Amino acid sequence: MSAARAGAGGATPPPHAPEFEVVPREGGIVAVRFVAMASPCELLLETAETHTAHEMGRVAAQEAWRIESKYSRYRPGSIVSVINRSQGHAVVVDGETAALLDYAAQCHLLSDGRFDITSGVLRRCWRFDGSDRLPEPGAVAALLPLIGFEKVQWRASRITVPAGMEIDFGGIGKEYAVDRVLCLIAARFAGAALVNFGGDLAANRAPGTGPWQVGVERPGTEREARLLLELSRGGLATSGDTHRFLLRDGVRYGHILDVRTGWPVPQVPRSVTVAATSCVEAGMCATFAMLQGIGAEAFLEEQGFRYWCLR
Amino acid sequence: MQLKRPRSPLHLGLMAASCALLSDSARAQAAPDDAAEKPLQIDTDLLYYKENAGRVQTIEPVVSLKKDFGDQRLLDGTLTLDTLSGATPNGAIPSRKPQTFASPSSTSLTPKPGYKTTLYTIAPGDLPQDPHFKERRVAGDLDWSQPIGLDNTVSYGGHASTEHDFDSVAVHVGLSHDFNEKNTTLSAGINEEYDRIHAHGGNPVAGSDYALYEKEPSQTKNLAGGLIGVTQVMRRNWLTELNYTFDHSQGYLTDPYRIISVLDDTGAVTGYRYENRPDTRTRQSLYWVNKVALGPTVLDLSYRRGKDSWGIGSDTVDAKLRIDLGSGMSLEPHARWYHQSAADFYNLYLSETGPAPTYMSADPRLAAFAATTFGLKFGIATRRNGELSLRLEQYQQRPSDQASSLAELQGLDLNPNLKATIVQLSWHLEY
Amino acid sequence: MRIQSIARLAILLSLMLGACGCTSLGVKPWQREILARPEMALNAAPIDAAIDDHIYFSKEAASGGRSFAGGGCGCN
Repeated sequence: MSAARAGAGGATPPPHAPEFEVVPREGGIVAVRFVAMASPCELLLETAETHTAHEMGRVAAQEAWRIESKYSRYRPGSIVSVINRSQGHAVVVDGETAALLDYAAQCHLLSDGRFDITSGVLRRCWRFDGSDRLPEPGAVAALLPLIGFEKVQWRASRITVPAGMEIDFGGIGKEYAVDRVLCLIAARFAGAALVNFGGDLAANRAPGTGPWQVGVERPGTEREARLLLELSRGGLATSGDTHRFLLRDGVRYGHILDVRTGWPVPQVPRSVTVAATSCVEAGMCATFAMLQGIGAEAFLEEQGFRYWCLR
Repeated sequence: MQLKRPRSPLHLGLMAASCALLSDSARAQAAPDDAAEKPLQIDTDLLYYKENAGRVQTIEPVVSLKKDFGDQRLLDGTLTLDTLSGATPNGAIPSRKPQTFASPSSTSLTPKPGYKTTLYTIAPGDLPQDPHFKERRVAGDLDWSQPIGLDNTVSYGGHASTEHDFDSVAVHVGLSHDFNEKNTTLSAGINEEYDRIHAHGGNPVAGSDYALYEKEPSQTKNLAGGLIGVTQVMRRNWLTELNYTFDHSQGYLTDPYRIISVLDDTGAVTGYRYENRPDTRTRQSLYWVNKVALGPTVLDLSYRRGKDSWGIGSDTVDAKLRIDLGSGMSLEPHARWYHQSAADFYNLYLSETGPAPTYMSADPRLAAFAATTFGLKFGIATRRNGELSLRLEQYQQRPSDQASSLAELQGLDLNPNLKATIVQLSWHLEY
Repeated sequence: MRIQSIARLAILLSLMLGACGCTSLGVKPWQREILARPEMALNAAPIDAAIDDHIYFSKEAASGGRSFAGGGCGCN
């Protein structure tokens, strides 16, 4: 017998100093609010009991922080950091990371290469701060050889990212966390629940009083109108281009980049909202649409998605 | 709300992929060790061990199966076969004159009708070794461990082995408790072993004159021991464990094949005696091991301090560095340094004049020596989360110099170095 | 008594570990990705360890420490 084994992970999250707040709302709904993934996060539960809300809030917050920590680019110990520092050496990944990589690989294929988790290196020369500072064409072109998910070897739980290349799950992480949290809540909570991480949301069913009333922000529009939707179950995600951009000589450069050229996709819609079976599916669909630029509406119409598009 | 078109192939593909992501990751989260997905592990190993100067040589195949029954309930079974051959030192020291000994399986030192005598003669200056050493051993281990509640694990198991001159059975029970968000684990365990020694040709009467060749029927010994340990997660990349073990043996602890040379004042051999060790032995050890991840590289560093009631103190430092070479290949250099002090009753030889000690042994394994091991292990990943690896090590024992002033012993290498080569092929599979 | 000094060493090391403030040592459950790697397990290569223990048991006077003696052999 080996003397001892440090457990691989707690079966249930231990009591954690609550960094979330519980706010009762009308209609028999309680809201739990916390911050994760640099967004205001909210869990809406159809319950009268605040202790249940506290418990579910804890589950939700722990899971959000777990995913944030595990896949954060900024934490040196995260699996993403380990992979990005591996200098071309194979890294063995666990089951959850393997599932995310499989998903990234399939989305890369489904989008004809437009969706690419290795595109993050373009951050090195693009800073979308609203100024007119565009990067040198040479600098952008120099990064293109370091982009391309087809250059990554992903097989049998081992990922090999060539030296100089990077991956990040920024385009999947938040939506994935929403679906995961809803899954954990639904396993422990009998009532209706809605998870909302900064506009990416999912619900398991409508509360007794009727479908969830969701307001989607549309910044930059006339009258800042909100899109009002009714959601019973499934996911809803919004991709927007209003906040991060560069403006030069009257031309607006949005932050959705075309990985084949390294330059922004022209004529991207201001906002695309998609409803689907899960938040991850809705978010990826909205991302695909944005990547189509001028063809976003036609793309969404063709593929038979439920969408709301704003130019 | 606009009427929507039927879902396109791309839409269906995205739906399927998203669904797969959520169910795959849910399954992975349910079994964070991935053990439920790969419940059976099979390990087959082949060891080849060879000492220098025609000494012991071993070929040892090992097969091990580990089955996860879900919820951290594990069954572990191992079968080991050991075939040894070669020459093994008998404890006497070299001499200027040829020396003749009887192989232990002999029933008489001198040829007599009705008795079996197999003699071997050692040339002057050579280390006396019995060239007829041949042994085959079969050993089996079975262990079970399972959780009790959220934070505890119980384990128990047994071992049995048999060879021509030795049989052993052992059992052990252990308990461990996790706390501090599973960052700290306390463990405790006890074990008990019962052995029967029935040497080839009978067990010699301990300490008796070799020439008399007095033998006894089989003897037994037993060992009772315990362990307490603590494992602590120090950092995200650093795990440490500290174990304290103690055990007490009693019974026939003597080596039935070893003799000790009896010399006169000039150093000439006048005879031999069978060795005689105390019939109790208490041992303790403190073992500290660390695993540190430095990026993809992993360092394994340990130190062990041992002490026993025979006066033997030991220190062991062991270091391994697992280097990831990419494409599923790894290289692991290994270095071990060991030092022990001699047993109180250890003597290279006995003097004819002077009082005969109660306990005596010339077994080089009880002498003072330093030993080093240098090795390299190369591994390559295979299908089914498997790995094929080759380990090559070189072990060398250097006894502390024992210069003698006796005339007859000048120029003789009384306690030569031991060198051994270790080659191990391993194959790990998961189903 | 010789037995006492090793026990004293054990107590000293344990106190050192305790003094580091065990409550401040350790990681959160979601910070275990490195520790979960198979090569980070303390018994990552159990058969290698068993083979080595057997070799050193038959060639040296000290043995074990890592776990229990698996059982005897006639080689010492």
